[in-house]
Amino acid sequence: MTTSLNKPPLASGPGSFGDRRGGGRTPTAPGGTRRAGKRGGRTGYAFVTPLMAVFALFYLWPVVQSVLSSFFTWGLLRPWNLFDRSTWQFAGLANYRRTLSDPDFWHAGANSLLWLVLFPLLVVGISLVMAVAIWHARRWSVVFRTVFVLPMTISLAAAGVIWSFVYNPDAHIGVLNAVLKALHMQGTLDVGPLHLKTTGQWLADPGTLNLGFYDLRLVNVFVIIAAAWAFAGYGVITFSAGLASLPQELVDSARVDGCGPLQVVRHVIVPHLRQPMRIVFVVSVIFALRTFDIVYVMTSGGPGTDSTVLGLLPWQEAFAFLTSPQAGQAAAVAVLMSAVLILLGFPYLKSMLPRKESR
Amino acid sequence: MRLMTRRHARVTTGVATALLLSTVAACAGSGGSAPSSGGKIEGKLRVLSNWTGSEGDAFKQVIKGFEAKHPSVKVQIETVPFEQGQALLTQQFAQGSPPDVSVALPGLVRTFSQQGLLMNLDSSWDKWVSGGEYTPSVRDMAQGLDGHTDAVLFKGNVNALIWYNPKQMAKLGLSVPHTWAQFTSVLNAAKAKGVTPFAVGGKDQWPLTQWTDSILLRVAGATAFNDLARGKIGWDDPRIVKSFRVFANMIRSYFPSTSLSSSFTDATCGRVAGKFLFENQGAFINLVDPQECGTNLVPGKDLSFFEMPAYGSAPAPQFVSGDLFMGAKASKHPAATRALLEYLASPQAQEIWAKIGGYVAPNAKVPASAYPNVNDRNAAALWPKNPSQRAGYDLDDWIGGEIQVKYEQALSQFVRDSDVDAFISKMKQIDTRSHQ
Repeated sequence: MTTSLNKPPLASGPGSFGDRRGGGRTPTAPGGTRRAGKRGGRTGYAFVTPLMAVFALFYLWPVVQSVLSSFFTWGLLRPWNLFDRSTWQFAGLANYRRTLSDPDFWHAGANSLLWLVLFPLLVVGISLVMAVAIWHARRWSVVFRTVFVLPMTISLAAAGVIWSFVYNPDAHIGVLNAVLKALHMQGTLDVGPLHLKTTGQWLADPGTLNLGFYDLRLVNVFVIIAAAWAFAGYGVITFSAGLASLPQELVDSARVDGCGPLQVVRHVIVPHLRQPMRIVFVVSVIFALRTFDIVYVMTSGGPGTDSTVLGLLPWQEAFAFLTSPQAGQAAAVAVLMSAVLILLGFPYLKSMLPRKESR
Repeated sequence: MRLMTRRHARVTTGVATALLLSTVAACAGSGGSAPSSGGKIEGKLRVLSNWTGSEGDAFKQVIKGFEAKHPSVKVQIETVPFEQGQALLTQQFAQGSPPDVSVALPGLVRTFSQQGLLMNLDSSWDKWVSGGEYTPSVRDMAQGLDGHTDAVLFKGNVNALIWYNPKQMAKLGLSVPHTWAQFTSVLNAAKAKGVTPFAVGGKDQWPLTQWTDSILLRVAGATAFNDLARGKIGWDDPRIVKSFRVFANMIRSYFPSTSLSSSFTDATCGRVAGKFLFENQGAFINLVDPQECGTNLVPGKDLSFFEMPAYGSAPAPQFVSGDLFMGAKASKHPAATRALLEYLASPQAQEIWAKIGGYVAPNAKVPASAYPNVNDRNAAALWPKNPSQRAGYDLDDWIGGEIQVKYEQALSQFVRDSDVDAFISKMKQIDTRSHQ
């Protein structure tokens, strides 16, 4: 009789290492296999339990609390407490109704939408170009890669400060305005619905894009450019890793077939980097929706609310609007943002999870 | 003073709201039991302030004076940037471990006072007002809507001062205006000579509120100004609308194109460098200019001010602001806390900073001779010491909270668009107190 003792502890099921070592025998004692499976399962749970406990305590529990707190009216001076009924002032869906009927929420949503569209495109575009250029320039590739990845090592808040100097309206301080002044390119540019002012007020009044139903102020565009600069290093690393696995034979054969450099990029490199591009794109989307620090440092959401994004709203509701107890509404905004993030991040998660192989 | 502290670099808090909200303990009522204010004046006090640099040093000197007076008390000063102060205080009060004494603006004092978290100072104020140290209108600044006063006024500031370089004025052949007509005439003359009339640091938002308050007090008057602050009238009141029409004309005619992209420091140092003729700011400029712009300026010769002229025939009410200190009811050393608050309101404490400079003492008993230079002396002379003198306290600082934040945002848009109707309409949506 084959007992469980004859099997390696982690081997279970047909086709496993244990089966092969046994000369391809099929399990003859289902009961023993089941016991081994149970023990293997228990061992697996033992490994996972500490991590799950940390996850549940420090991530899941605060999330549950935040979601629950969004159904109550409360402020930081009178905090809601799940275990203290005296702090419960049930609001039902009122916080969500208020949030969804607040013009500021939709205005911030429109600004976040601009981030969602422009930021991933810029990050993917810039980092792809840089990664391919580094891949081509093999001689100095380490130096170039270091230079392009360096911005990623500083915090976004610091990047915001650096770019605030770049955009400074005084041409003696702001590099961008100094260049434009030297080139005599300061003025206004009207191209269709785009009204761009190159007068140097990049973070104050750089112009508008008329969408017919809505005048999109361009301040956010210049904050997004700064964020993309800081974030592009992540794309460069990811694409460089992808390019490292690109078989040279594939490139050589494309060249033999008469492909020029651009055609090699289009028909060989880009298809090869499809998966890394998806990863960089989705991570950029997630970052774009929850962006806070660089906006706060560069414009604080201003002038007025021109660059206010959704990530700023919960902070304002909870901390700046202290006179009215709106922490519940802040939680509602956070929950809505999380829901959108999960929906947008789902394709990424799905692509990252290992697929079950069909028999 | 908020006007000084807001120039500190903004630093991102970077704390996830969900986590933060979930970690705030349910201890808001910890200040509910009022400890006796009697007992020995001793213990270790935590004091929260937001002054750094030479202002921070000046405040330390003031605190040293207290420790010398009460050797059994040790004071630990904690300095936080203004922008973080409100959030930090809220967390600490909610957790039941507030600083014993903390600097605050009227809006925040009222919020904490309504929650019963502050030490009541009515009896002290009664004594100070009857003794002529403070006027009732100054007391109003620290007073809540319930009639109680739970804070002391430590550092005063006089606003609506037009700062300029007398040498630049003389070079341009211009003289100090005394009426609104003369004022606009000087502004037009400066423009004609190629000098931008005003330095405006609107990127920091608060400098724009200096403008609205100055003009509101001159055009609408002190009564309408104070009624607006307390929500007794709405933003569509004709006196308020007229004020913003005057302001819109000022923006269109005399504001630089960099109004919203220049910070306070950029603007003020730009004026020192001669790029702009005037700057509408508070008395603290006398300390800020030499510090921030790295220039040796002789007060009165290189740097002087005049009051923004009255708009009509009536004299302009004084536009003041200042920093309050509040004491936590939950303090473990209530006697020492009260003693420190009373000390900060006293002429002895305020005279220490007055002698250092860049300071306006709110206590009327501080002698003019304490001030080190002509600008400080002239600014201090404008502080309302006479009970009949009309004054308005910084509008948005007084209101505080959500309305303050949204008002400053709307003001930036107003400076960009100069659209009075859109601004008034927006403010009616933001501030609904007059309809309630």
